[in-house]
Amino acid sequence: MAAQDPDPAAEFRRNESWLFDTTAGAYVRKTAVSLLTLVVFAFVLFPLYWMVVTAFKTTAEIQQIPPTVYPNDFSLEGFRLVVESSIQAGGYTSLFANLFGWQASSAIDIDILSLVLNSLKVAVGAGAIALVLGTAASYVLSRRDFVGKNALMSIFLASLMFPGTAIMVPEWELVSALGLFNTHLVLIFIYGAMTAPFVVWLMKGFFDDFPDSIIEASRIDQCSSIETFWYVIVPMARNSLIASFIFAFLLAWNELVFALTLLDNSRYTVPPGLLTFVQGFNTQWNVVAAASIIISLPVLLGLAYIQRYFVQGLTGGAIKG
Amino acid sequence: MSYSKQARGSFESVSERIPEGVKVYLPVLPVTALVGLFILYPIAQAIYSSFFNKDLLAPSEAEFVGLANYAEIWSNPTIHQVLWNTLIWVVVGSSAAIVLGFLMGWLLHEKLPYTSVASAIVLIPWVLPRVVGASIWQFMFGGSQGIINELLVQLGVIDEYIVMLGSTELSLWPPIIGMIWRLAPLFALLTLTSLQGIDEHLYEAARMDGATPWEQFRFITIPMMRYNLAIGFLLMLIYNIRNFSMIWVMTKGGPGVSSSTLPVMIYRTAFVDFDVGLASALSLILFVVLLVFSYYYIQVYDQVRGDV
Repeated sequence: MAAQDPDPAAEFRRNESWLFDTTAGAYVRKTAVSLLTLVVFAFVLFPLYWMVVTAFKTTAEIQQIPPTVYPNDFSLEGFRLVVESSIQAGGYTSLFANLFGWQASSAIDIDILSLVLNSLKVAVGAGAIALVLGTAASYVLSRRDFVGKNALMSIFLASLMFPGTAIMVPEWELVSALGLFNTHLVLIFIYGAMTAPFVVWLMKGFFDDFPDSIIEASRIDQCSSIETFWYVIVPMARNSLIASFIFAFLLAWNELVFALTLLDNSRYTVPPGLLTFVQGFNTQWNVVAAASIIISLPVLLGLAYIQRYFVQGLTGGAIKG
Repeated sequence: MSYSKQARGSFESVSERIPEGVKVYLPVLPVTALVGLFILYPIAQAIYSSFFNKDLLAPSEAEFVGLANYAEIWSNPTIHQVLWNTLIWVVVGSSAAIVLGFLMGWLLHEKLPYTSVASAIVLIPWVLPRVVGASIWQFMFGGSQGIINELLVQLGVIDEYIVMLGSTELSLWPPIIGMIWRLAPLFALLTLTSLQGIDEHLYEAARMDGATPWEQFRFITIPMMRYNLAIGFLLMLIYNIRNFSMIWVMTKGGPGVSSSTLPVMIYRTAFVDFDVGLASALSLILFVVLLVFSYYYIQVYDQVRGDV
């Protein structure tokens, strides 16, 4: 190929070899790209950096003016206060005192353990509902034609755009009328309803690409359609299913508006709980940052897993990565 | 959609007694019911409530007032300011996120040693719990210890620390900057994915024909990316207009309504002033705008599907 190439520069470019190119132009380009990258990504990363260093500062240090760029006294005070406050609020103080002879005493009040448990309950429930109902529907929507199918798909896609702020007031009225105010169950349903259309689109994309010949083969092997679905298709769809679940989980984990309006603070999930804490104790930023890091960890772990599916999931499969 | 009648036939042995025409709908029914009850029904409820003067705490005493709530929106200068703020949010926030995100996506597409790590890290602002991201920005912009004040002083932009979140003139902007920080990475990822999806051979062929880099960009890159960019563009508009958390955490929409957009105003009207009727009418405006965006989103989506 290269031997027939009339233009040696074209061959150079094809190999992306400007990286190794020794001409001045290539150096300028490389330097410009690197510098620009640095500036742009400083904007993205600095707030994250700031959260992490703030979490490791002492209460005295966060009040210094001008602020210190990195902790002078590296301290776990923020994390300690969060943990101790959870122990206190959970009523485990005497247990810890008896077991370890250590008296937890925290000046702040954030029960992060119960917030996390509430959020886990809601997020897992919503993920499960969205996954089961969404997948069942997507299979039929992909494989069969029926009246109203395209309209239904469009409604599902449009419904992804509305949730949250556009319907918080009528949602409140509906939930009150149903007598489900201040229950985690209703949040599970709402988050399920918000993410199931997403799962429908994502999984429909998967089923559309699923080869018919495999289904043919299982039919010849005397599988019923439900057996085919469960033993043949589901195992092959594993990755898409996990990605769907994580998307639903993340939405429920992050959602603020409904959690804030439909729950009392005794049953808060993480987002409204953290919000209340931020607004009540916004001089204790090291504690806020420590709590933030703790509740962000599940999200970052989920992200590492679903990164490949992220764009596809985000656009319901419109853009394939 | 090219499955044969026979292939479809293989899915029909659950129950012979249910008529075929009905059976197809059974798996679709639960999710439709869920979405219908918790998303579509509330929209209808909002339309209905918007014609009433209704107190959140005494909904049974609602009184029919016709279009009075809409007349209030038409004549109330406070609401006009909120609508104006919303427009600024959507226009400034979206264009900045798009430009910055496109640039980031472009940089990530360069094959440099750190790009694969960078494209993983860059998503963190988007997936971080919204309240967490917003409270970091609140801390950075905030009163006496804010790092941004210090930064501006060091750069010589201002002489001494100024109040930003509590200022009527300035408070609209910090949440927009926070939102750009959250959304730009998303657009960057869409850009990166689209760039990776373009066949290298197209560029090669163009270079053979003597196309300049600009011509390659104009006649290959942009046309190949147009649907993805359109989807990204609409997502930016949608996320910006329906954002609540960034503003609510940082400023609560204040002082006054100086940093309130439509969603924040809806929340305040319903859950602070308890005026459900007016809040519903405001919701309707937001809903109609989102409906228009969704319409275009679906249009673009169908185009993508048609092309693939």
